[in-house]
Amino acid sequence: MKQSFWKFFFLIWLVCISNASHALEVIEILGGKASQIPVAVIPFKDNNAQKSMQLMHEVITNDLNRSGLFSSIDISGVSDYPIDEREVNFSNWAALQSQFIVVGKIDAIGRSNSQMQVTWSLIDIYKEKTVLSVAIKGQPSQYRVIAHRIADTIYEKLTGSKGVFDTNIAFVKKLGKEKYSLFIADYDGHNPRAIVNSRYSIISPRWSPNGKKIAYVSFEKKKPVIYVQDIETGKRTLLANFRGNNSAPAWSPDSKKLAIVLTYSANSQIYTIDADGKNIKQLMRTRSINTEPAWSPNGKEIYFSSDRAGSAQIYKVDVDTNEVVRVTFEGNNNVSPSLSPDGKLLLFLNQDNGSYRVAIQNLLSNQMLKLTNGPDDESPIFSPNGHMVLFTYKDYGKVSKIGTVSINGLKMTPIDVGSETILESTWGPLSD
Amino acid sequence: MRLPWLENNDNLQANLFTLVIHLALFIFMIFSVNWQVKTPYYAEVELWDAIPTQIKPKPLIKRATPKVQKPQPSIAEKIVEAKKDADIQLKKKKAAELKKKKAAELKKKKAAELKKKKAAELKKKKAAELKKKKAAELKKIEQLKKKALEEEKLAELQKRLLEDEEVEKVQKKLLEQDDLERLQEELRNKDLAKETRIAIEGTQDLVAGTNSGELEKYKALIQQKIYQNVNKQLCGLDPLELIFEIVLMPTGDLIGGAKMIKSSKIESCDQAVERAILQAQPLPMPQDNRLFSQLKKLKLKFQPNGPIN
Repeated sequence: MKQSFWKFFFLIWLVCISNASHALEVIEILGGKASQIPVAVIPFKDNNAQKSMQLMHEVITNDLNRSGLFSSIDISGVSDYPIDEREVNFSNWAALQSQFIVVGKIDAIGRSNSQMQVTWSLIDIYKEKTVLSVAIKGQPSQYRVIAHRIADTIYEKLTGSKGVFDTNIAFVKKLGKEKYSLFIADYDGHNPRAIVNSRYSIISPRWSPNGKKIAYVSFEKKKPVIYVQDIETGKRTLLANFRGNNSAPAWSPDSKKLAIVLTYSANSQIYTIDADGKNIKQLMRTRSINTEPAWSPNGKEIYFSSDRAGSAQIYKVDVDTNEVVRVTFEGNNNVSPSLSPDGKLLLFLNQDNGSYRVAIQNLLSNQMLKLTNGPDDESPIFSPNGHMVLFTYKDYGKVSKIGTVSINGLKMTPIDVGSETILESTWGPLSD
Repeated sequence: MRLPWLENNDNLQANLFTLVIHLALFIFMIFSVNWQVKTPYYAEVELWDAIPTQIKPKPLIKRATPKVQKPQPSIAEKIVEAKKDADIQLKKKKAAELKKKKAAELKKKKAAELKKKKAAELKKKKAAELKKKKAAELKKIEQLKKKALEEEKLAELQKRLLEDEEVEKVQKKLLEQDDLERLQEELRNKDLAKETRIAIEGTQDLVAGTNSGELEKYKALIQQKIYQNVNKQLCGLDPLELIFEIVLMPTGDLIGGAKMIKSSKIESCDQAVERAILQAQPLPMPQDNRLFSQLKKLKLKFQPNGPIN
């Protein structure tokens, strides 16, 4: 009995020893890189030979590239285009360093083949399996929208965030002397349509978070005043025409209020006002200039730029308590703040050594990253998913253009909206 | 083509058997000895150029290892030689003993069989005679019975004799056993000495391997190769942790993919990290089997957005 007990004990001890010596080696991998997912978008097989539809893979490729999270694979050397998983030669695509490929086909459907159906798949090359397979219908003329939606679906599947390829931007163009227009277009500049035409310059367009209205500053009353315009009906209302200048409108996250800047009492101060023009209140009273308000996504704080410390820096103020905290410290001047949709990143213009660059600051770590090289970048604004920034820049001819830059700084892409100079731009919300 | 001398002569058969066994054991022993002396230290040389910082401590130990190694073969050979001799003696003795034992058993068996046969025959005879002569020939029967009894007694005697022989043998065997045990004891002591030495050398080698960073070097190489592929943009901004377990082939390729033990709770992040592991194939693997066995199962801990406090 005793002996068997000791035997048992010995056995347990052996097990313990062997377990200890066979503990797994642990490798810790701290951090990572800002790399791009290599993806190949294969031309969809078009059974009806619609020329516009054949451009869909280009639209998708451009969308994914622009995000900075993807890099497209050159498929010029590939001769046979698969249309689904069964036709994919995985080792060939792996050899091309492709992690994912997008394949599909286009069929004519409906009465007299007027409708199109695109059946496409996203295929994982490493796992050798189809990640998702979708059929989408539409008019041939809608091929860009269909392509954007496909890109959005891919984007969301692989990054976990909504894609912004089916959103709109707005920008002000100077078409000639005393000829200004506020345009709305696809996010990549296609399909522009003017919603405001004016002899006076228009600046600071801001889309309401619910997507229904645009606020902007017009000089038509010989001084800056703020209008709010309903996009669908085109009806506009004068929001702020107070003594002095009325400028820099910023929508609250619930679209019910705006923060605006007035020079009502001497210098620029921030006020809040209801979207119908009622209930105006001054936020803080200081001797220094407070301007360029931007709401935090929770609506509790307003970020703004101020010269109170000598140089222009970004601060935040608690809307309820009026308590002010300085946010930026690097660089000579930091202006034009706005917040990412998750409230974790601050976007602004950083001025150092005479050039203005688009920069972001992680509000958790306070690390700053300059996204562009300047020297005359302006009016940065986040895409609705916070992964890209729309901004204006001056090219060699000193003409202002617009472009996007990914927040990893890896991809800067111009948006082609013609040769005329762009005054300012803004990005609309996600469509539901 | 019968070989009666072979079939009948138990001794010769046994001797041949012994010889074969011995040969086989001898060959195996030599083979195993060569194996032991040859195996261990060869894979460490080529891979040193990669990480300069970790090379420095290594050559010292590397230079030291051959010094320890050089005397080793002679000592080992001596031990092996001694063991060989001892083994041969032991085996001879064992075989002889086995032979004797077998012979005895055979004799015993044959005697028993003979007895059985005779008894059976007798019974048959008895039965037949009984049927023929019936009651009238009781005398004869009695005589026969007596005879049978005598025969039985004889058989018993024979058996007793055999048993005596056995006892003698056992005694002899016991004596031999003493010798044997002594011999084994000696051998064991020698073995123990050898084993201790091997153990010490083994740990020295292991310690040398780990201290010089051979294991750490490969861990660092693996870490680097996977890190290159971790796309932390797909993991948001908050600190988070993922844990994967992988099993590797000596080629550095994964067996059965990467098993997620702990999720970041962000699907795109989990996927991105899994892709990073898959993409890193083949992972750098040491040629040395011992090192490989330490690295073939790995736990990978990821903190894409920096350390969690």
